[in-house]
Amino acid sequence: MLIDTHAFLGPWPFYPHPPRSGRGLAAQLAAHAVRRAYVSPLGAAFLPEPMPANRELFAAVRRVSVLIPVPVINPALAAWRHHLDACQAAAPISAVRLMPNYHNYSLRRRDLGEFMAEISRRGLHLAVSVRLEDERNRYFGLAVKGVPVGDLAAFLNHHPHHHVLCNGLYKGEIERLAQTCDNFSADLTFAEFLDTIRALRATLPARRIMLGTGTPLLSIAAQIAKLRFARIPAAELAAIGAGNAVKFFERQRKRV
Amino acid sequence: MRIIDAHTHPVSGGKGTSRTEVEALVSHGRSLGVEHMLSLGDVLRHGRFPTEAQITAINSDSAKVQQFCPGYFSTLCFLNPTLGERAVNRELERCLTQHRFVGIKLEICNNASDACMKPVMAAARRWNLPVLQHTWSMTHIRQRSFHTDPIDTATLARRNPDVTIIMAHLTGCETRGVLEIKDLPNVYIDTSGGPPVDGLVEYAVEQLGVERVLHGSDLPGRAVAVSIERIRGARLTAAEKHLILFANAARLLRLPS
Repeated sequence: MLIDTHAFLGPWPFYPHPPRSGRGLAAQLAAHAVRRAYVSPLGAAFLPEPMPANRELFAAVRRVSVLIPVPVINPALAAWRHHLDACQAAAPISAVRLMPNYHNYSLRRRDLGEFMAEISRRGLHLAVSVRLEDERNRYFGLAVKGVPVGDLAAFLNHHPHHHVLCNGLYKGEIERLAQTCDNFSADLTFAEFLDTIRALRATLPARRIMLGTGTPLLSIAAQIAKLRFARIPAAELAAIGAGNAVKFFERQRKRV
Repeated sequence: MRIIDAHTHPVSGGKGTSRTEVEALVSHGRSLGVEHMLSLGDVLRHGRFPTEAQITAINSDSAKVQQFCPGYFSTLCFLNPTLGERAVNRELERCLTQHRFVGIKLEICNNASDACMKPVMAAARRWNLPVLQHTWSMTHIRQRSFHTDPIDTATLARRNPDVTIIMAHLTGCETRGVLEIKDLPNVYIDTSGGPPVDGLVEYAVEQLGVERVLHGSDLPGRAVAVSIERIRGARLTAAEKHLILFANAARLLRLPS
């Protein structure tokens, strides 16, 4: 069984992916042995106020038990507490996602401390989408870059009691971040090398690596291959493929 | 399913020249079903503007890799066109006659539409060699003075319709790059480089025809398993996957099929 920690539903304006329902996503994932996915709304990246996309996400996954919603919150908006309230009222959630580069704020913002304290009080965990696409190939009208590793490091060091899931880091960025921080996990969405998992294992312990596909922007089959063909002990593979995600998301849920 | 990887760098960053390293790479490839690799050399070892001596050293390393596992690698001769016609021809002849290299690899020494490409393409024509040109969209990478955009590879192909050109890096070339070469039957595209963007392989097949798409990984910076499964998982027929993963490259490299 595999668990995807970086899956999306909803539209992406720069590529003509066919519309996909919650059931459709679940079926696509199941075809690759992914039995559960933590899903965020892709459209939230381009909405100044992400709640319409979150509401669509909650509706899409309501009757699809294998898809767990991870709503996107923009903590730079004054109403972020109301948005957390609305999300928690809409569905049992264990984590929220930030998209700092798409929502035009820095992780060095001082007032993020309040946000972190609040999600901690609510028993919510935090995932950060560092990037959604290779910025060398983004749409020509976009100037959105990945979240700088320096900002992530400052954020993680400022909140040492939070363990954050950083989705979408490149392999080299994981290596740099790991030099100064140990309160994060990384996923496989954009981390790639000849033998990806073994290369990452030289930097991070297996318990801090999780599967993330980035679907629908990236190919599920190709992303899963990083795990399927990894040459590491079976126990570590199981942890990266599913166990670490269960611990990360479910531990928080119990704290609610 | 038989597989050729048409875009590999067995030597990269100076690593990969020992017999042990080469055998480990071949073992890794074989474990994934890759029965042949097109080896392109450690092309950025000395930066973007290698001297003639550095070019020779890079190609000699590639020859060494080829000799460690006879039959597993076909090798392209890395050239710096800005070094001029005599240097280009000297190195190419050395690699063809001494090491039986099978084509030419061009990186970022210059833009593919530059005049210095003329003797390179003349040599490719004379020896009947395919030319693999590194190509990436320069929309966000503003290095076009020396870094080739799909428009430039298309210009090169238009000027040399009788030379076979492989435009590297489907993901980096994007849909725009695919369309640039659509009407140029002498241009192939390889699927290497960049993350496995969903749907792009299918798009290339739809626009170019399946015969012009080659499987490539860009190892070691990219994972062979990922590049293979990107094709295997694509919304294509088994016959189309076979052409991309194996038959197109076998035909181009004149390998026994």
